[in-house]
Amino acid sequence: MDNREVLVDIKNLRTFFYTEDGVVPAVDGIDLTIHRGEVVGLVGESGCGKSVTALSIMRLIPVPPGKIIEGEIFFHEEDLLKKNEEEMRAIRGDKISMIFQEPMTSLNPVYTIGDQISEAITLHQKIDSAEAKKRTVEMIHLVGIPEPERRFGQYPHEMSGGMRQRVMIAMALSSNPELLISDEATTALDVTIQAQILDLMRGLQKKLGMAILIITHNLAVVAEMAETIAIAYAGKIVENASAKEIFKSPRHPYTYGLLTSIPKFTEKKTNEPLPAIEGMVPSPYHMPKGCRFNPRCPFVTEKCREEEPEIVELTPGHLVRCFHPIES
Amino acid sequence: MAEKAIEAKKKGQKSSEDYTYVGMVFHRLTRHKLAMVGAFMLIFILLFVFVGPLIWRADPNAQIEGLGGLFNPASRAHPLGTDDYGRDVLARMFFGGRISLFIGFISAISSTLAGAFVGLVAGYYGGWADNILMRFTDAMLSIPTFPLLIALASVLGKGVWQIILVIVLFGWMTDARLVRGLVLSLKEQEYVEAARAIGASANRIMWRHLFPNTLAVLIVSTTIGIGGAIIYEASISFLGFGVQAPFASWGNMLQNAQQFIWNSPRLIIYPGLAIFMTVLGFNFFGDGLRDAIDPKLKL
Amino acid sequence: MRDYIIRRVLGMIPLILIVMIVSFGIFSLVPNPFAALIENPRIKKADIQRLIKAWGFDLPWYLRFFKWFSGVIRGDWGPSLLYPGSTARDVISRALPVTVRLMGIEFLVSIAIALPIGIISAVKQYSVTDYVVTVISFLGMSMPTFWFGLLMMMLFSVVLKRPSGMPLLPAGGIITPGLEEAPFWAKLGDRAQYLVMPVVVLAFSSLGGYARYMRSSMLEVIRQDYIRTARAKGVPERSVIYKHALRNAMIPIVTLIALSVPGIVGGAAITETIFNIPGMGSLIIQAETKADYPTAMIGLMLSSVLVIAFNLVADIVYAWVDPRIKYS
Repeated sequence: MDNREVLVDIKNLRTFFYTEDGVVPAVDGIDLTIHRGEVVGLVGESGCGKSVTALSIMRLIPVPPGKIIEGEIFFHEEDLLKKNEEEMRAIRGDKISMIFQEPMTSLNPVYTIGDQISEAITLHQKIDSAEAKKRTVEMIHLVGIPEPERRFGQYPHEMSGGMRQRVMIAMALSSNPELLISDEATTALDVTIQAQILDLMRGLQKKLGMAILIITHNLAVVAEMAETIAIAYAGKIVENASAKEIFKSPRHPYTYGLLTSIPKFTEKKTNEPLPAIEGMVPSPYHMPKGCRFNPRCPFVTEKCREEEPEIVELTPGHLVRCFHPIES
Repeated sequence: MAEKAIEAKKKGQKSSEDYTYVGMVFHRLTRHKLAMVGAFMLIFILLFVFVGPLIWRADPNAQIEGLGGLFNPASRAHPLGTDDYGRDVLARMFFGGRISLFIGFISAISSTLAGAFVGLVAGYYGGWADNILMRFTDAMLSIPTFPLLIALASVLGKGVWQIILVIVLFGWMTDARLVRGLVLSLKEQEYVEAARAIGASANRIMWRHLFPNTLAVLIVSTTIGIGGAIIYEASISFLGFGVQAPFASWGNMLQNAQQFIWNSPRLIIYPGLAIFMTVLGFNFFGDGLRDAIDPKLKL
Repeated sequence: MRDYIIRRVLGMIPLILIVMIVSFGIFSLVPNPFAALIENPRIKKADIQRLIKAWGFDLPWYLRFFKWFSGVIRGDWGPSLLYPGSTARDVISRALPVTVRLMGIEFLVSIAIALPIGIISAVKQYSVTDYVVTVISFLGMSMPTFWFGLLMMMLFSVVLKRPSGMPLLPAGGIITPGLEEAPFWAKLGDRAQYLVMPVVVLAFSSLGGYARYMRSSMLEVIRQDYIRTARAKGVPERSVIYKHALRNAMIPIVTLIALSVPGIVGGAAITETIFNIPGMGSLIIQAETKADYPTAMIGLMLSSVLVIAFNLVADIVYAWVDPRIKYS
């Protein structure tokens, strides 16, 4: 059990999108807990609701067409969903920060990166611009960009993707937030840069002690970084356990499928095809009845087609949403 | 509340995955408010102009004898009154409309096709052909259309076909640019490479593969172009070129009415209103069409 | 950058040449340009002969072109046939300021209204305001200017009258006869009443286009990732719109404005004609209808050269305003 203080506690979050073509239940009953200083991974395929969860925490869901229709998101005992816009603005960038997937388009092209980082600082801290500039240069240095003073006056288009992502991290961490949400921050980078950025994040986490919510579809990323992993599918969490547990003994058929579909270089070479999970992610407009994974599940039973399973704690700290979880 | 929405979905409402392409476009179009307003306006105008004369039979060129027949206000004999020659205004509106619409339609389609042709060739072949064609297009675009239209009109003489020619001569450029840009981006796509790999000729690639993909954009451009062409026609006729008496076009009716602004303002209102509504209808509809065809562009 | 400008200026030359050829070519199509003059009993045959020689009409067309061309370059724009006794240059220099004044004011009014409503319309997309602005834009763009002009004349000159019995607004002209030598302020007030209707007519037509353009540019920018980043930083919404978004949205607008400037000189031919304003637009039309081809050709050419020149200005302004653009 985790002894650390609970930082963020998401209870039964439901965020829906009302579009011309119908209702999309992007997040349909998600529970998630993040402790102080904990690194939590949120893993799933595209469309499973993980980004929407992050945006819901930040209250950045575009309304319309989106709407958080149910749930509570507790940050230090206070429900973020009950706060007004002023209060949320004070929290964004200060207590909870977020970095996004596309470094190439996530920075404003007409302002220097120095200005953009300083802006994050002066918004939340009462210091003058000279002091802010100093802090900015420190931050640029902290994220591993050489020649920070020169870089201060550069524009985003003068930097590579990896460097821009470092700038984003500098911006996000400039006010020492308690939680950093990383939404597929390394997905758009190539592998070597990815590794660098992950190293950077790990180092900064040790140094600054903030909690990180890593959202990704890449199990390798969470294997390196996360202490706890939550697996999402079709808007719900289907498994939640420590990283070690997930990789050693996955209990949900989906998690199991994900893990076995990763090619392993240490095993003997066989001529068998790589196992893949059959079928496709359901269309949000046509969710299957019963357990949402049932059309693709190799262990499906009649019950799975009729009823939706609830989340159950199989062993301490290991939660699964399935009627017949795999034996450990 | 959300449960209710999901229930409604289950009852069989279709979603985007269930339609064909044309069906989708039509579906989106019918839900676009302004486009539907435009469509109604156009249907009304078309009915007015084509069906009208069948209901109200009057000769647009028949002049009433005597001064008493001039500038009559609305009456049972003449629902829109008479003009300065004693002619029935309503009838002139019908036939003037036909001519204006005809000119607008033909000019718009022709200039779109001409422009598309230039754009296709320039975009597909690239190199010096592209260079020369685009230089020429740019030069033509630099010349202010209106004075040039008048210039050409004065040189070519007056009449319906002259106007069409003139409008096409100075209208093809926008479509040329549009199509060229489109072709440049389409050219890089795989199906073009595939076609070339199986030995398709340049001609075939251009017409059979690239052109159909530009159709959507061209249709929108034509629709909006009709509105523009009608205004051009009206302007040219307004200045005395274009459609000549005794034939009516909405443009020359306006021109004629100008001098009677003090005593018979009705004569100004009717043709102008007709032009206005027609152009507005085409613009609304064309805009909605654009949104329906590519909602990602929807702004 | 300097090299780029030089290259562009050089590139302008063939364009201008083509324009001159086209201008010249069109009027060469006229079978006998001097027909009107010959019929005019007040002009002596000898003078006509002189004109024919001076204009090179005794030469084949290619030589004639060079003759005209060299004259134009030297500043000799030929005689004015509309106003015998004056040169085309005089006539044009009299008409030009009138048009610039009218169109300049119209332009400023148009932009001053269109840009703000475009911005508001984008920020409040789909609201009633947006709807109203969109409809007004369409009305403006679809309205035949001459009809609108005539309607306004009907309303303000025929129907509405001042207590003295005079029309509320004068139906044409630019200044009350007799006031040409009046002091500046009196003249200003007098001029203003003549400008009201034409400016309203022209501004109404053009503001629709600008407003829609501003709106779509703004909407495009607001959707960008960097706007989401700004919000995630905790930037107040007002700053998000006016600092982050607007600065980017204005880039294409600025070039649009630069490209619209030549229109100021070209003038609105029909509106000038209706309201009896002796500007460039109506001058060109008159020149064309009354067969003053020298003046017409020059007028056409001037407007075109301005368009070409301002295309270059637009590109330079674009590079100045957008840090991403670098012309080498």
